[in-house]
Amino acid sequence: MSVFDLAGGQVVLGGRRILEDVTVRVEPGEFVAILGDNGSGKTTLVRALVGLVPLSAGTLSVYGEPLARFRDWARVGYVPQRLVVGGGVPTTVREVVASGRIARVSRWRRLSRADWAAVDHALEDVGLVDRGHESVATLSGGQQQRVLIARALAGEPDVLVMDEPTAGVDADSQDTLAGALEHLSAAGGSVVLVAHELGPLAGLIRRAVVLSHGHVVSDGPPPEPVGHHAGPEHKHVHPHADQPVGDAGFGLP
Amino acid sequence: MSLLDYDFMQRALIAAVLVGLAAPAIGTFLVQRRLSLMGDGIGHIALTGVALGFLLQTSPVLTAIVVAILGAVAIELVRERGRASGDVALALMFYGGIAGGALLITLSPGGTNTVLVGYLFGSLSNVTPTDLYVIAGLSVTVLGTVALFARELFAVCQDEEVARVSGLPVRFLNLLVAVGAAVTVTVAMRVVGLLLVSALMVVPVATTQQLTRSFRGTIVGACLLGALASVGGLVLAFYADTPPGASTVVLALGGFVVAAGIASARRAVAR
Repeated sequence: MSVFDLAGGQVVLGGRRILEDVTVRVEPGEFVAILGDNGSGKTTLVRALVGLVPLSAGTLSVYGEPLARFRDWARVGYVPQRLVVGGGVPTTVREVVASGRIARVSRWRRLSRADWAAVDHALEDVGLVDRGHESVATLSGGQQQRVLIARALAGEPDVLVMDEPTAGVDADSQDTLAGALEHLSAAGGSVVLVAHELGPLAGLIRRAVVLSHGHVVSDGPPPEPVGHHAGPEHKHVHPHADQPVGDAGFGLP
Repeated sequence: MSLLDYDFMQRALIAAVLVGLAAPAIGTFLVQRRLSLMGDGIGHIALTGVALGFLLQTSPVLTAIVVAILGAVAIELVRERGRASGDVALALMFYGGIAGGALLITLSPGGTNTVLVGYLFGSLSNVTPTDLYVIAGLSVTVLGTVALFARELFAVCQDEEVARVSGLPVRFLNLLVAVGAAVTVTVAMRVVGLLLVSALMVVPVATTQQLTRSFRGTIVGACLLGALASVGGLVLAFYADTPPGASTVVLALGGFVVAAGIASARRAVAR
């Protein structure tokens, strides 16, 4: 049973066609990167997969159920792209991460020891276990991004859907994140992530779906690093399918 | 004579404690999603409801609750659409609320704008036993609802999209906050008045968060401070013969200044 099965997906937002005839199937255990230029529709694709953006044509099923009938949301972890975590009220890191358990706890009981163990485990995975009781607003941007990833991990999802999880995250944090995703993947979980640049995640990715102007232009093994970019000191991956690979910088430095 | 010797003061004190607890409880969720002024907007709209009560010669509190809930739901639906024009739509509703109230009251039998002043600035001293039952029932309902749905409300106010992907009934929970805010505004209008309602929902939260790191600590602390401020305001009003609503809000703001002072002193020491 596929995790996500999108067939002929079309998304129209504000009168503009953002995605056109997109067919993507993600199987359990797969580690898929969605690549493409700015404006190619990457973010819209993952938002459509988790039901945040309605399809104007095509069909989508999640774990074998049509999206409208799918109820088992505890199986899906979603990490949105955010500049800052939280709102106007101070919130500790643990409070944010514990809210990731929401789909797994009933209203009538308190969080159990097992719930808190999952929260601690998620904090360990992103290397923030000693920051749990701090206000999330005092953390750096990269650390806040890791808090969002921990929130999704705390729900112990079977698939993790992430929108640019590495944007603005420093190299050390990216390594920590790569380790956490490796665990998830090794345990049979699936990962779908939007990336501008793969960095330390490059080694984990077995499949890349490349979008251009709302269409899938390639779907297969990730593009190999070429030329001097293939050197051991250089981890950039150039996912442009429709452009010559050159020295022009791609993504964040 | 002590203030507890008066029946009306006993009732007023009970009402003040309940409203002081309930207003920051719902206010914390409004501040969390950066809607601090929502209570203010609902207060404006509720004025039309009060005037409507006079016009129809029925209970102004009842009509105020109905109109405030309709207004709050409208505000929430506008917010949900997230359009830039939503901001202007809110402004239109606020001004419409005040103007509608001022207009309808003059059409009511024997109604003048001075009747509205008691609702705009609060008039605790004439809380009847029936009023107290209504205030108590509604405050306890708001507090109970917040306690029952705290985890879901926190998740939705924290990150609406992630809450949606977690399968939470996001629209229902948003409407719950909006209706809770509307009920709180109408309940609190007797204590602090419609123009100052929002202060009791927001100022204790702003004060507490100077000193807290957690959401739980903030909401609990804000409720306690809210109750303290509204009781203190009432006592001050009794002995100094000042308006209770204004006294409550001035006390709450005084608390904020003290807390902000402590917070900046702490930061200076930490540095």
